[in-house]
Amino acid sequence: MSDEPAPPLAAAPLGPEVPVAAPSAPPEGVQRQRLHPLTPLLESFRFLTAAAAAAGIQAFTSRNFLFAIYIALAAAVIGGIASLIALQYRGFVIWGRELHIYGGVFTRSHRTVPLERLQSVDLVRPIRARLFGLAQLNIEVAGGDGTDARLAYLKADRALALRAELLAIAGRPAAPVAEPAEDEEAPEAVPDRDAGLLVPQLTVRRLALASFLEALPAQITFLAVFGTAFAVAGSIFGFTRVATVVWVGFLAPALVGYIQSTIAAVNRFLRNGRFRIARDGTNLLIQRGLTDTSHETVPVDRVTGVSFAEPVLWRSRQWKRVEVWTAAVAQQSATAVRSTTALPVGGPDEVAAVAAAAVPDLPSVFATERPPQRARWRMPLRWKRTGAALTERAFVVRHGLWVNTHVALPYARIQSVKVTQGRVQRMQGLATVRAMAAGGVGHDAVAVDRDAREAVAMAAELRDRADAAAALERPRLS
Amino acid sequence: MSAKTVPVWDLWPGEVTWQPMSPKLRTVWVLRSLLNLFLLAVVAAVPLGIWLGWRGVLWALCGYVLLAGLRAWAVARTVATWGYAEREEDLLVRHGLLTRRLNIVPYGRIQLIDLSAGPIERMFGLTTVQVRTAALGSTSEVPGLEPAVASALRDRLALRAAEVREGL
Repeated sequence: MSDEPAPPLAAAPLGPEVPVAAPSAPPEGVQRQRLHPLTPLLESFRFLTAAAAAAGIQAFTSRNFLFAIYIALAAAVIGGIASLIALQYRGFVIWGRELHIYGGVFTRSHRTVPLERLQSVDLVRPIRARLFGLAQLNIEVAGGDGTDARLAYLKADRALALRAELLAIAGRPAAPVAEPAEDEEAPEAVPDRDAGLLVPQLTVRRLALASFLEALPAQITFLAVFGTAFAVAGSIFGFTRVATVVWVGFLAPALVGYIQSTIAAVNRFLRNGRFRIARDGTNLLIQRGLTDTSHETVPVDRVTGVSFAEPVLWRSRQWKRVEVWTAAVAQQSATAVRSTTALPVGGPDEVAAVAAAAVPDLPSVFATERPPQRARWRMPLRWKRTGAALTERAFVVRHGLWVNTHVALPYARIQSVKVTQGRVQRMQGLATVRAMAAGGVGHDAVAVDRDAREAVAMAAELRDRADAAAALERPRLS
Repeated sequence: MSAKTVPVWDLWPGEVTWQPMSPKLRTVWVLRSLLNLFLLAVVAAVPLGIWLGWRGVLWALCGYVLLAGLRAWAVARTVATWGYAEREEDLLVRHGLLTRRLNIVPYGRIQLIDLSAGPIERMFGLTTVQVRTAALGSTSEVPGLEPAVASALRDRLALRAAEVREGL
């Protein structure tokens, strides 16, 4: 397009000084550290089970046991040779302040991870790896292209040692000076790495009860709908015809969906078992999992929002689930957002502790203001549980009937603000305010159906507060 | 008078001086919508012509004229609602006839600034400025600017964005 010269840039790029070291490959002779010999076996776990199942079916149906044995032998030999070859090319080298990861047989890959920009190292233990006492390291780098580097699989103790080593090279635990914009959080964060957990470890019983109560409304609804549909259709058309025709056409797909949602609920329960959260300087450390243990690190200065979800049956117990949104900048403008569960279920005190740890001084109980009365017919059931508030630290909105959710967006993390007014809203003098945080769709705070005048004033106020809050933080590129 | 008939952006507290778009934008957009509709009419005319002969083509033409008139009227009115304002710390963009939209983009959060121009826009010498932040789906467009105005706006935005960088 236009050929005018670009405007002069600001004097110096603000933010962390990243020394632009040329990505120096280690010399050829350096001994690569190898991954565990069982790695290829574990990675082709699904393939192997599929092959075994195929062989089994073949043997069972055709009574040709010899053929199955041939298949198994061939798979074992080919797999063994392939994994031996693959292992020769896989490995990693720590060279200076960089981690080099090698892989691939036909297409060689060589990945360089600059450890200065190390964001987090997560230790993950899927169940198939746990069977053999192995673990996997997920390495996340700030300013990377979104995909994590992965080291899989290593012996568990070696993985832990390597994690410590990587973090030490990155200078994280010993001297967290590499981390910018922590000056405000620092006085608040008492370095209680040893003191341990923010909240007591979640008991399995409580989590089970919470999961059950959360899943219950959907289950009851589904069973009721399913049952009545079956009974009504059956009494009209006769049960046998219904059982064959409607079953295949409609109920079976519905049942599949139901089973999937149930499995998802169970999975969430397994994933959140033995949940521990601790604060280490500017990071939240999360460890969780009944079957697959995983460690996660959430940098507090990257938290873009906190959501407090309250399923309908938790209300009487005052339980809430806390989720934390974090954003990491990718190379292009695409920004990856993760929402991490910071507390699967907890009472008011625990929720308050976690909220205050995720965003300094963030309260956990909010008084939101409802939309005007004339908006009530637009959402007859939700109206009472909808609202918005400008609190001291964050923009808070509330929505949802089955799962009532408070979303708190710290002012300093608000990207842009939108006000929209649909045609019906215009007739009623209403408008919707939307404050966007960095990242994906759905990670924003939406205050629906406010009074139009109030909505615009709210948007203006949000902008002012966002500027004020951002000015307090040190400018950074993050 | 209540807020009901006033566009939502006119309720903004404080003075905002809205910059209008180039007057040529209306011509461009009306032309563009006419062209789009014309393509549709051609697509519709082929089966109609096969089915009804020349009468079918006539029908398609009549339908096109009617729809094009309505569309041109609506587009012309929509163009008038577009406007942008540069404030101290942020850029306001307003548009929309039925659904009113007001986007507020702080300079400090701007990540990308694009200039683009489609074929018809180029014919009339107009340029669109697109502003992106880190939030997905928060692209704000300022269409229909003279190239000089557009690149000046781009330069101002880029300068301000570099001065008050706020990150995520």
